[in-house]
Amino acid sequence: MKLIYLDNNATTAVAPEAAAAMQPFLADQYFNPSSMYAAAARVARAIKDARRDVAALIGAEPDRLFFTGCATESNNWAIFGAARARPERRHIVTSAVEHPAVRETCRELGRLGYEITEVPVDREGRLDMNAYVRALRPDTLLVTLMHANNETGVIFPIEGLSRIAKETDPGILFHTDATQSVGKIPIDLAGNFRHVDMLSFSGHKLHAPKGVGALYVRRGAPLRPFLIGGHQEGGQRAGTENVPHIVAFGVAAQLAKRHLDDESAIRSKRDRLQAELARRIPMMEINGGGAPRLPNTLNLAVHFVEGEAMLYQLDAHGICASSGSACTSGSLEPSHVLTAMNVPFTARHGSIRFSLSRFTTDEEIDYTIETFPRIVEALRRICPYWDVARNVPRPDAARNAGAVAVG
Amino acid sequence: MAWEYSEKTVQLFMDAVHGKPGTHMGEIENPDGLGEHGSIVCGDALRFTFRVERHPTDPRLDRIVAARYLTFGCTSAIASSEALCAIIEEGRYTPIEALKITNEDIVKYLGGLPTQKIHCSVMGAEALEAAVFNWAQRRGVDLEKEGVRLSMKDENEGRIVCKCFSVSEPYLRRKIRELNLRSIPEITHALKAGGACQSCHHAPGGLQDLLDEIWGRAAGEPVSAAASPEPPAAGEPLSPYQLMKRIERAIEERVRPALQSDGGDLEIVDIKERLVYCRLKGACAGCAGSAMTLKMMVERVLKEEVDERIRVIAV
Repeated sequence: MKLIYLDNNATTAVAPEAAAAMQPFLADQYFNPSSMYAAAARVARAIKDARRDVAALIGAEPDRLFFTGCATESNNWAIFGAARARPERRHIVTSAVEHPAVRETCRELGRLGYEITEVPVDREGRLDMNAYVRALRPDTLLVTLMHANNETGVIFPIEGLSRIAKETDPGILFHTDATQSVGKIPIDLAGNFRHVDMLSFSGHKLHAPKGVGALYVRRGAPLRPFLIGGHQEGGQRAGTENVPHIVAFGVAAQLAKRHLDDESAIRSKRDRLQAELARRIPMMEINGGGAPRLPNTLNLAVHFVEGEAMLYQLDAHGICASSGSACTSGSLEPSHVLTAMNVPFTARHGSIRFSLSRFTTDEEIDYTIETFPRIVEALRRICPYWDVARNVPRPDAARNAGAVAVG
Repeated sequence: MAWEYSEKTVQLFMDAVHGKPGTHMGEIENPDGLGEHGSIVCGDALRFTFRVERHPTDPRLDRIVAARYLTFGCTSAIASSEALCAIIEEGRYTPIEALKITNEDIVKYLGGLPTQKIHCSVMGAEALEAAVFNWAQRRGVDLEKEGVRLSMKDENEGRIVCKCFSVSEPYLRRKIRELNLRSIPEITHALKAGGACQSCHHAPGGLQDLLDEIWGRAAGEPVSAAASPEPPAAGEPLSPYQLMKRIERAIEERVRPALQSDGGDLEIVDIKERLVYCRLKGACAGCAGSAMTLKMMVERVLKEEVDERIRVIAV
């Protein structure tokens, strides 16, 4: 059975060109780029080229782009590094729907005595702009808000958010976790993102291999290094460079830049999937459907069906997807993103995320449109809250749904 | 989906979803026993029904001949429901005998469950107990006389310890003893209690207190988990009231009328000392020159009328 990969917000297939480009650096081009001979200089040159290509994807000056191990490291660095650089400021503004790499890092500072304001979102996942404005304070150290949400694909208006922070106080640092958006939609740190101080992303979300990320730091932005003990990356991120992966990242970034125009093709596939599923499945929410969204992401909440059970069935049909259901997370809590969006409780455990890439074909979308509604139907047949004959919730569903134990 | 399920678990789940003959998915009409456990808020729920072959004279000797379930939940919740029904039908138990089936029997039947999924098997055992209670009421069997202690009714009315999953104190007390739960993670894996917001872990009368009370405080255990330090009091400097009032008045008197004559309006989002956050509304909102309007018109008026250091920020 051919695998249908619709989980590109989790990770992406490595582009063949990127895989090929890294091979020499896993073989005879093993030299330490810091060493003082011609062979090493060639390796250093390859890193420089990669830095130029990755920086070009986001409109950054190459010398302000630092390679890291992953976006999580970039986020940790941005947040802890800002706190260490500006110890007199003790307040951080973030959102209720950040990736754990930001959310938990902020909360860690909260345990160290920092005050953290988590700005809420509305039913569509849009940031509450009034609450955001009210959150900004004279002692605000950092604003850290994601560009696109990993679960729903909802895009925050970083251009306006960063401008408001800077107009309030140029001393406030503005960081954005752009892991889900870089390579999918245009970002220009010299243009629409000119008020952004720091931007995190990673390679493996844009068809580079896992194990390499980057942090952009605007010139003059006060930030302490996170990994200390070496001159690499201009002394900002110590540790011998991960040369093969950095090289692959560079190639993947070049390809991503070239394919930014594919956005509308991916969007039309996603929109078709959304429309056809909505037509076939009663009582289904499109999470974030009313907000600006990444072109590749579709997050559904199916009432009265549990997400993990759907994933298992999808897998049996060769379709890879994700769910924000509690049962998939190792915790018992459903997705904090859907909870913050106030998705109805009858659907909160029934979320499914399909995320496409430029490699997704029309046939794969057809097959998913064919298959997924049948899975939902089968699971609703098992569900105590669903009237199969009439294909609607049972009239007593709402009452029983809240019951804990009925004798 | 990194759960590692046994082959048996996956097979039972797949068979149920495909409605394979011999599986127990469904609901018995006019059942002799009906029990429910869980709720859709918690992420899993089970409706369990059974039918008995009635004993002509002594209802205590009724035998369960058919058992069915409807389950909202994940792979292991559905497989646990299937296992429960299979165990009961294979055993041809009386309802009172069936009460001896524990969640461990379900786990054994499934060939094991991941630790975090134990609560799926507990849900099965609880629904069974509720159904037997229901059967006893219908058939006029006094379970207490039979030496069976079913305290669910009171348990549902007790103090709620875990608010996220509505788990009551009497229920927790019974289950901590029955399942020999010795730590908070064990409670969470088996009963879900404490698995979401976690505020009941170390609250007075919370999970740790119940554990300590039932098992005694273990030597060397910290008295309570290090509570996170209170955040320092917000040193919010109050924006001078007078200034704010004057800004508002200037906007009312000079800015609004001008905008409204063009079919627009202005919303003040916030005023922080001399920073005024505004949003243009109505016809002005979509206007290409809206940012300019704010800067040139609103800011200029406020500088003239109130304080020249005022800055207007578009939201």
